Amino acid sequence: MHNNLYTAVFFIGLLTSALLASSTVSAKGVFQSGPDFISEVFLEQGTQAEVQVQSKVLWLTDDIRQQAEKILDRPVQGLRIRYSRSADKTAWILEEIGKEMPITIGVVVDQNKIIKVKILAYRESRGGEVRFPAYMAQYNGATLTDRHRLDKSIDGITGATLSVWAVNKVAALALYYHSQAVNPKK
Amino acid sequence: MKSTNSIKTNILWHRRLGLSIFIVLIFLAISGIALNHSPALKLNSIGLSNNWLLSWYGLEKPSINGLQLDNKWLYHDGNNLLYVDKKTVAPCSAPLLSGSKNEKILFALCADALLLLTTDGDLLESFTQLDGLPVNARAITAVDDSLYLLTDSAVLEFNSDSLAITPSSKTESTLLDTLVTFAPLPKVLEQHLEEQDSGPSISLETVILDLHSGRFFGQFGVLFIDIIGLLVCILSITGLLAWISRLRHVKQ
Repeated sequence: MHNNLYTAVFFIGLLTSALLASSTVSAKGVFQSGPDFISEVFLEQGTQAEVQVQSKVLWLTDDIRQQAEKILDRPVQGLRIRYSRSADKTAWILEEIGKEMPITIGVVVDQNKIIKVKILAYRESRGGEVRFPAYMAQYNGATLTDRHRLDKSIDGITGATLSVWAVNKVAALALYYHSQAVNPKK
Repeated sequence: MKSTNSIKTNILWHRRLGLSIFIVLIFLAISGIALNHSPALKLNSIGLSNNWLLSWYGLEKPSINGLQLDNKWLYHDGNNLLYVDKKTVAPCSAPLLSGSKNEKILFALCADALLLLTTDGDLLESFTQLDGLPVNARAITAVDDSLYLLTDSAVLEFNSDSLAITPSSKTESTLLDTLVTFAPLPKVLEQHLEEQDSGPSISLETVILDLHSGRFFGQFGVLFIDIIGLLVCILSITGLLAWISRLRHVKQ
């Protein structure tokens, strides 16, 4: 009787470990392509026929580059940043290093507020919990303060601190880029 | 008397063994500690590109070829960097597959991204596979005002303003003559590349790990480390026996 109980507990433990291991492995990968993300976010507000989405570029002037580098705390490469726009809604696909590998993050901004953040590709072996929708939902409604930081406090994740910081930076950067793209005087 | 001799023999062999392997043991201890703290010491990011080491690992420094686009040379260091003449442009996964230019932009097709550069070699932006670059894209060419991407299965037209990719009616055979082909770099640029100490390299972590396990010297190296392992066991046993014998001797 006891032996059967121990066997059952052993196999349940084994199964739980396997499930945990598989969830850790599946945290790494490409989850959505850039074009699919753009289609998804602009289709949400209506049918495809109603939405005029334009592919545009934001040229990184010295001022913009300087501010972007302050937000990211590292040099910014490239002379221009590609984004998609429909009316005052913009979508940005940006990359930032988590611990060692770049995380590709899609950010949608409307009326200077974040309305969606999504991890499109996660390449680190750990810390993938950051991509869960419940966590990403924290960014919704966030705006940029005068010091170019998010006005909302974002909860951390144990073991994924650097990934969380990377998403915070990218979210703030997208808000800044949006302000420059939609209203360059600010 | 017999017991005293036994202790002496034990200690003698213990000393002989210890003296013969102590240098290897110290190396194994230090290399083991270094490997345990490899991420903190960033051993993986330290590349060694010594010619002797590369040839020991069966790697050769490749003869670097480049693409001549008018008066500019576009080339790759064989590792992770793209150059325009002497200027480092941007990270670019090896190999550099193809390059082309139109009036305003240079295009460099790397293994996983298409880099758009100004004619001065400044990076405009990267168009990656995540952005919609076909995975099997292997060449890019400019004909008149249009750009074409050649993939394994189709020819696609590429709009460098919108980054849109659309099917093209052109066939690969009609575009082959327009492709820019690789040619040996001028000596000046070859020298420049050598001065940058770029190209294939082996991480310090790999070298230490191979030295630690003996793999660096092939199967004889592994066997040697195995023998060292056995000698360490014998050393522990002789040390223990000597200690026990001495303890008994003192009691008697």
